[in-house]
Amino acid sequence: MSHDSHHDPVACKTELAPERSDLGLIRPDRTTGWTDWLTTVDHKKIGILYGAFAMFYFLVGGVEALAIRTQLARPDNDFITARMYNQLFTMHGTTMIFLGVMPLSAAFFNFLVPLQIGARDVAFPRLNAFSLWTFVFGAFVLNASWLFEFAHLAGWLNSFDWHKALVYTDFAPANGWFSYAPLSGTFGQNGQALRFTGVGTDFWIIGIQVLGIASLAASFNFICTIINMRAKGMTMMRLPVFTWMTLITAILIILAFPAITVALIELMFDRAFGANFFNPSAGGQPVLWQHLFWIFGHPEVYILVLPAMGIVSEILPTFSGKALFGYPIIVFSGAVIGFLGFAVWSHHMFTTGLGPVPTAAFSLLTMAIAVPTGVKIFNWLGTIWGGRVRFTPPMVLSLGFIWMFMCGGFSGVMHSSAPADSQQQDSYFVIAHFHYVLLGGVLLGLMAGLYFWFPKIFGRMPNAPIAYLASGMVILGFNLAFGPMHYLGLAGMPRRTHTYHAGNGWETWNYVATIGAYILGAGVFLAFANLAWTAFKGKKCSSDPWGGRTLEWSLPSPVPEYNFAQAPIVATRDAYFEDRHGGKRIAYENDGGEAGVHMPSQSWMPLVASTGFLFAGFGMPMMAMGVPHAGWIVITGLGVLILGIWLWAVEGPGGYMLKTPAAAGSPAPAETVAH
Amino acid sequence: MSETADAHDAPTSTGIDHKKLIMWLFLASDCMFFGTLISTHLLYRKLYPSGFTDAEGHQRFIQNLFNIELTSFSTFILLMSSFLMALAVSAMHKGEIKSFRRNVLGVIFFGLIFLGCQVFEFTHFYHQGLTIQNSVLGSTFYVLTGTHGTHVAIGVLWLILMYFYSFTGKLGGHMGALDVEVAGLYWHFVDIVWIIIFTAVYLVEYLGPNGFWGTGLPAVTK
Repeated sequence: MSHDSHHDPVACKTELAPERSDLGLIRPDRTTGWTDWLTTVDHKKIGILYGAFAMFYFLVGGVEALAIRTQLARPDNDFITARMYNQLFTMHGTTMIFLGVMPLSAAFFNFLVPLQIGARDVAFPRLNAFSLWTFVFGAFVLNASWLFEFAHLAGWLNSFDWHKALVYTDFAPANGWFSYAPLSGTFGQNGQALRFTGVGTDFWIIGIQVLGIASLAASFNFICTIINMRAKGMTMMRLPVFTWMTLITAILIILAFPAITVALIELMFDRAFGANFFNPSAGGQPVLWQHLFWIFGHPEVYILVLPAMGIVSEILPTFSGKALFGYPIIVFSGAVIGFLGFAVWSHHMFTTGLGPVPTAAFSLLTMAIAVPTGVKIFNWLGTIWGGRVRFTPPMVLSLGFIWMFMCGGFSGVMHSSAPADSQQQDSYFVIAHFHYVLLGGVLLGLMAGLYFWFPKIFGRMPNAPIAYLASGMVILGFNLAFGPMHYLGLAGMPRRTHTYHAGNGWETWNYVATIGAYILGAGVFLAFANLAWTAFKGKKCSSDPWGGRTLEWSLPSPVPEYNFAQAPIVATRDAYFEDRHGGKRIAYENDGGEAGVHMPSQSWMPLVASTGFLFAGFGMPMMAMGVPHAGWIVITGLGVLILGIWLWAVEGPGGYMLKTPAAAGSPAPAETVAH
Repeated sequence: MSETADAHDAPTSTGIDHKKLIMWLFLASDCMFFGTLISTHLLYRKLYPSGFTDAEGHQRFIQNLFNIELTSFSTFILLMSSFLMALAVSAMHKGEIKSFRRNVLGVIFFGLIFLGCQVFEFTHFYHQGLTIQNSVLGSTFYVLTGTHGTHVAIGVLWLILMYFYSFTGKLGGHMGALDVEVAGLYWHFVDIVWIIIFTAVYLVEYLGPNGFWGTGLPAVTK
């Protein structure tokens, strides 16, 4: 069982003899290529995989959005059917939130958090891989509904007997990203469980459930990592702000996701087993779904935006040449936003008739949450103030973030007033508001982060002129697309209608919005294409091209698998900046000694266990709709899941010793490329 | 696990082991999970009478279905299983593997008795006419107590696997004691949740002549 004693410390793992797990099987430690990517427990590789999948789904969600905008470009358009339109806006929202923004944030968590706190990996490397693959399979289950939809449209399913049972209105989900009951639920007395919608809703339920498991597992892991694996001297108030925002986001996830988990279980019981949680004809209260959904859904908004705020809080000081203005206030504002985020959910439900007292209370709390957000904006402005600003692509996008997010915040505060909200509810004004927050805020922040850290991730510089062009197109296209929607909403154009008649005065601005959407789409595609090109062909750069402030910039680019050759000991906030320009140096401790540093072994088991979710997730919608023998797919899936977890537990954590350059005698962490 | 220079043996910033910390985090999350389920039950219980109509069309009341003596017994058994779990953890810390096995077998046995009582209760209630489909009460009752039962079943499975694993000789030392302690945290939590469910779902129905919430109907003959 002594899994490391027979390994000589070396600097490259492929030179090691094969390692056997406690099961007697050879661990996939010494391989490269596909096996390496499928079995990796390296947080940097997992981060890259998260990022690649997220960018792919951003493009999928973007294509869905462009189809919606094309349909709305002209009045009385018939580019797509009403049914397809419902499916597109449902999947657009779900994809962007759960498969685009959250995994892209997770990509940053994975890549950056261990580097920023001076650790060599996360607390549970194999659990981290499990989160990744569970996300990948959850995303696949959710999108598999499109395959059924296309098969149905092509007529391939017509020859099956169970075809009629399978479809009521849709194959891909069409309930909106919040799947309000009773539309998503059932009607009828005594367990008849007649459903309003087809198998798409079941795909949605199980897909979100699986994605929730992935997010929860990742969040447990990251809280543990941040609290427990900080380098010596890295006190909580010396943590980089991005790491702080990751911590708060993870806490929000573990406390908010159980509400949606239970709501989804209840909805699943309604649909599959004839329970009455949301069935109005049997006494169920559909408004309960709204409560449970938004108790999750509103913290989710902050789950989406806090990582972007953390990213911007790293970029602004770097390119202003100043320390972040009011670090403790920024951190505490983030915590207050997270806390208040649980107390404002009912502002999504002002029109359900909550009564005057709750409405007033939720109005006030919603206004209150604008305060810490405003505090952050002023601190960012204070950071830029008097600084020597360098307008690099990440900085341009960060400045865009402040401006656009502020616009979204202004329209958000308008919604806190219940009477005004009653007028704006379900109109395009709401669409304009949350796209300013989620696109102008979150997407610009994440793009800024991509341009900022790509040189660290791949050791290559993105093409700057294309980056400026893409950023300009995104900001211009975005404002053209969503600015007019404020007007459209106030002029009465409702959400979720697949077309509108001419003569309402909505034609011009809808046309402008569609043009803007295409510019935006082209800009995002250009930006992503630039980044993909950078990863393989970009010009090589030094390990610290921007003059970074935090520990990750002290490492070579790309970062070696062991991260830190010697364990850093920090004495101040912005440790790397202080190390070069201030009085306080980073000390290094040769913690591995002659034996080298301990590295976790790779494993197939997280992938195997996650595969169980793929089978179960695929089988459950089939089972709910009465497809013969579908239950066996579910049982197989659960069996694979349990088997994977069992083998995972008994194979042991493993691990091997790597002799880093420092342990081999060179004094400081090596730099692969000279300045 | 042997006492090698394992990643999990490395000193942590807080001095708390990773495994223990992550279990506490999971339990925090599980609090919200059960909180949502219990809220659902209480909201509907407040809103609707405790009555439901069975398959023959008779009006029946949940208070008449409950066999409070049986449920009190199974609650007591679950509480005692927590006591045995604490003994098992203590035995592991002292390295007394045989004592650990004895106690953990007791926990498994008591857990199975609890699950058996729940199976009996579900079957009995079902034959009395309360189904997941015929009332909101049935839906919330079965899903809430069933979810708790699933937690107990997962705990029992975990402990059974741990019991057999202990014969391989790999469950020992600091890491072994930690693994048992983490399983113990989970078991105690599931136990505490049951005390809340037992109070909120069963006991309050016995406060006053018509229960804490009342039957919601003007005159009830029990």
